[in-house]
Amino acid sequence: MTRPLQASLHHRGRWDGSTIVFCFSIGLLLLIVGYPLLWLLMSAFGIPGEFELGYIAHVYTRSQNLAPLVNTLILAFGSAIISVAFGVPLAWATARCDVPLRRTIQALVAVAYITPPYLTAIAYIILLGPDAGYFNRALQELTGATRGPFDIFSMGGVIFVVGMHVFPFTYFMTHSALRSVDVSYEEAARLLGARRWGVLLRVNLPLVAPAITGGALLSAIDSMALFGPQAFLGLPAQITFLPTRIYGIIGSYPPRWAEASALSLTLVLLTACGLMLQRAYLEGHSHTTVGGRGLRLENIRLGWWKWLLLAFCLGVVFLSALAPVGVLAIAAFSRSWISGIAATNFTLSNFSEALFNNQIAVRGIFNSFRLAAAAGLCAVVVGATVAYVDLRTQAKGRRFLDYLAILPLGLPGTVMAVGVLLAFIRPPFAIYGTIWILLVAYVARFVPLATRSANATLRQIDPSLEEAARIAGASRLAALWRILLPMTLPGIAVAFLLVFIPALSELSATILLYSGGTETIAVAIFRLNDLGQIEVVAALAVFTITVTLLVSLPLNWLSNRGRTVPTGAVSKS
Amino acid sequence: MKKLQRRTILKGIAAAPILLAQGRVWAASGVPTMPSEVDLAKAKAEGKLTLYTSLDTKIVDSIIGAFKAKYGITVEYFRGGSADVTSKVLAEADAGRIQADMVDASDLAALLVMKDRGLLLAKQSDATAAIAANLRDPDGTWMADRLTQGVIQYNTKEFGGEKAPKTWKDLTSPAMKGRLAFFSSANGDGAPRLYTLAKHLGWELLEMLAANKPIRVATPQLVTQLLESGERGAAFATNDNIAWRSKLNGKPTDYVNPPEGVPTEPGAVGLIKRAAHPHAAFLFHEFWMGKDAQGLLVNGGKYSSRSDVMPPTGSPPLISLKLLTLDYAEYKRDRQAILRRMTDVFGGEWGI
Repeated sequence: MTRPLQASLHHRGRWDGSTIVFCFSIGLLLLIVGYPLLWLLMSAFGIPGEFELGYIAHVYTRSQNLAPLVNTLILAFGSAIISVAFGVPLAWATARCDVPLRRTIQALVAVAYITPPYLTAIAYIILLGPDAGYFNRALQELTGATRGPFDIFSMGGVIFVVGMHVFPFTYFMTHSALRSVDVSYEEAARLLGARRWGVLLRVNLPLVAPAITGGALLSAIDSMALFGPQAFLGLPAQITFLPTRIYGIIGSYPPRWAEASALSLTLVLLTACGLMLQRAYLEGHSHTTVGGRGLRLENIRLGWWKWLLLAFCLGVVFLSALAPVGVLAIAAFSRSWISGIAATNFTLSNFSEALFNNQIAVRGIFNSFRLAAAAGLCAVVVGATVAYVDLRTQAKGRRFLDYLAILPLGLPGTVMAVGVLLAFIRPPFAIYGTIWILLVAYVARFVPLATRSANATLRQIDPSLEEAARIAGASRLAALWRILLPMTLPGIAVAFLLVFIPALSELSATILLYSGGTETIAVAIFRLNDLGQIEVVAALAVFTITVTLLVSLPLNWLSNRGRTVPTGAVSKS
Repeated sequence: MKKLQRRTILKGIAAAPILLAQGRVWAASGVPTMPSEVDLAKAKAEGKLTLYTSLDTKIVDSIIGAFKAKYGITVEYFRGGSADVTSKVLAEADAGRIQADMVDASDLAALLVMKDRGLLLAKQSDATAAIAANLRDPDGTWMADRLTQGVIQYNTKEFGGEKAPKTWKDLTSPAMKGRLAFFSSANGDGAPRLYTLAKHLGWELLEMLAANKPIRVATPQLVTQLLESGERGAAFATNDNIAWRSKLNGKPTDYVNPPEGVPTEPGAVGLIKRAAHPHAAFLFHEFWMGKDAQGLLVNGGKYSSRSDVMPPTGSPPLISLKLLTLDYAEYKRDRQAILRRMTDVFGGEWGI
């Protein structure tokens, strides 16, 4: 071999099949994330047309826009509080205490998180509708009151339902922080004579405070972005939030693009502020003591207190997972949900309607499955490329790419949809009105999940393995295909499922982008709910939740497997 | 457009003046503009068509079922509130790709906007003779297919017998506080009938109704559900056909056309000019407006716009009602200001 090895590698690395895949993925990322965001920015400032920087401020001189902004902030604050109030005790109970049923509780928290929040909202209309809701009617019979005490159609109702969906953020973050706390601190405090509650408040709490704050902020950010509960519960109470306001502006005719863009940008700003706060806080308070991993955590024995704590935990998972899913199941098998459980009220016809007869539902199921699968594939290809370019090359602009691929994580679905709508309603990429625009929106929304997952997987694999293949004469494509791909397959499957699951039931972007023929499951649920066919909606909901749970099972198994990659392959860096 | 007035509607329905537009309309080659130009073979070759509609799905399903049985052509539909339908059509027109072949909306102003944008096909129809002149476009781009009245519906357990509301005024009493319901989507599609009430009976009526803190839902179907379950006791300006069906199905509800007058809302239908399935769409339009399909509409509780089709069983003939009408050209012009006023009166989101 006359040519130096290095030069030959370099030469081959420049142009082969993998280059085409890379360029394609990067182009796709710029097109589906960068291009819509550009339009969003331009439209909010009135471009094309007259440039007017003051437009956003002008938008908020209208009370119709100011009230949704205030309501959105109240909702964010409220659900963050619920998130902490429910998430932290549950995390402490299941991570550090001898409370029974810990695994069950944890699994049910996961169910609460996985259940699409608009389904929880519909379930709570059945449970807590002010007069006809099951809980309210039960309480009316008990107390003899003419009206039930709860009204889900209220700000409190929206905060509660959203809180039920977002508290798992705080739960999981606090839980893992509590598991990694160095026990020696606790022991030291005990030796110095601190009591149990003293240890909890003055040792444990400060140590996991960053996790709690992080969870609360994530809850607040996520709550601002949701559409379903705000639409299902807020509209009847005449309470508008930014996402529902944007939906109203675009759903009315003629659509007012600039106003919608300006409101979308505000939502982005709020999200960005939240994320920056979280980062700043974590940097200032990051005295986590992860050194304690080696020590065996002993569960705190609570004595009789554990029954009280168990009751609280069960109460929370009952309200957030069991009751909503259960009541949807009851309604799905009922002729009329109002009549409750009775042999005469039992029917399977809602399922035959939802799965076979109703045109929109059947089309919705078909569309959702193919969209979720296609979005999963595209997001994995793009995400893997971004991760590879970031971790394995010195390409200029790779940080920018990584940032672009993570950015949509902070963008509410409504915002992403407005951007996609503006960008793809006109030439040269006029795909509005086709199913492709939904695919673009889903990939754009969920590509961060695939990117992060691919990034984590790739970090675990030592580059020396591919280098060895290259030295042995394989092209980059061959090294990727035959060495990297087989090793990262579980991680890739996880990335696919992480996109597939939320895409299957996506509502907030879809509702702005779908057309006749491109309805999805979420659209069918939204529309059928509009028509008052709650029982059919419930059947669709039960179907969706079942599929989601079934698909999540391999996700669990695969991510556990991913962690046990042979140590030889795991890079220490 | 000629003003829509109660008298002329009634006259049209009662007498059915025969007024065939004779001017032949020329369109792009191959696109039929009159029934005789519809080629059945081409329609069958097109195989399907897409309908955007705000009509209740139960009625839509029955009509497209009959159409499929007769011609073997599938009708796919998008169903939303009339503002949903309109904003979708306009947005798709912006993208240069209207999915719909035929549009049907209960907001006549929406059809007028589409006509202004040049989206609707000017055509002749066999149904013209049976439709009052003020219920169709002289240029032939749209014609009314149904009339919906915004009635008072109530739960008979809560407001049975003596307590049953009979007039709009009854709903403004303190006894109705927290017991009322009405509908409009976030995009304001419930506004036309409420504006009709305001125009004829004064904005004060709406303000007094609003003072009773009505719950607002997105559709009349949801209103009925609230009443059937006892969640609320009475509703204003909800669809007569939905109220009719609820009563017919033995639910504990009833409804009334108040003597002060009841808002009437013509739904209208038109064909998209550059439709992907022009022959199938035209065939379907004629079927939709024909006596048989209009009979199915009536079976679903709607009043047909055809003068030769009877009202729904058990429903009062329109001639016996005091109908409050709206000039839709005016409504189209003032729509933004009207929606703004609705926001002031009821609060919440009206898409303005």
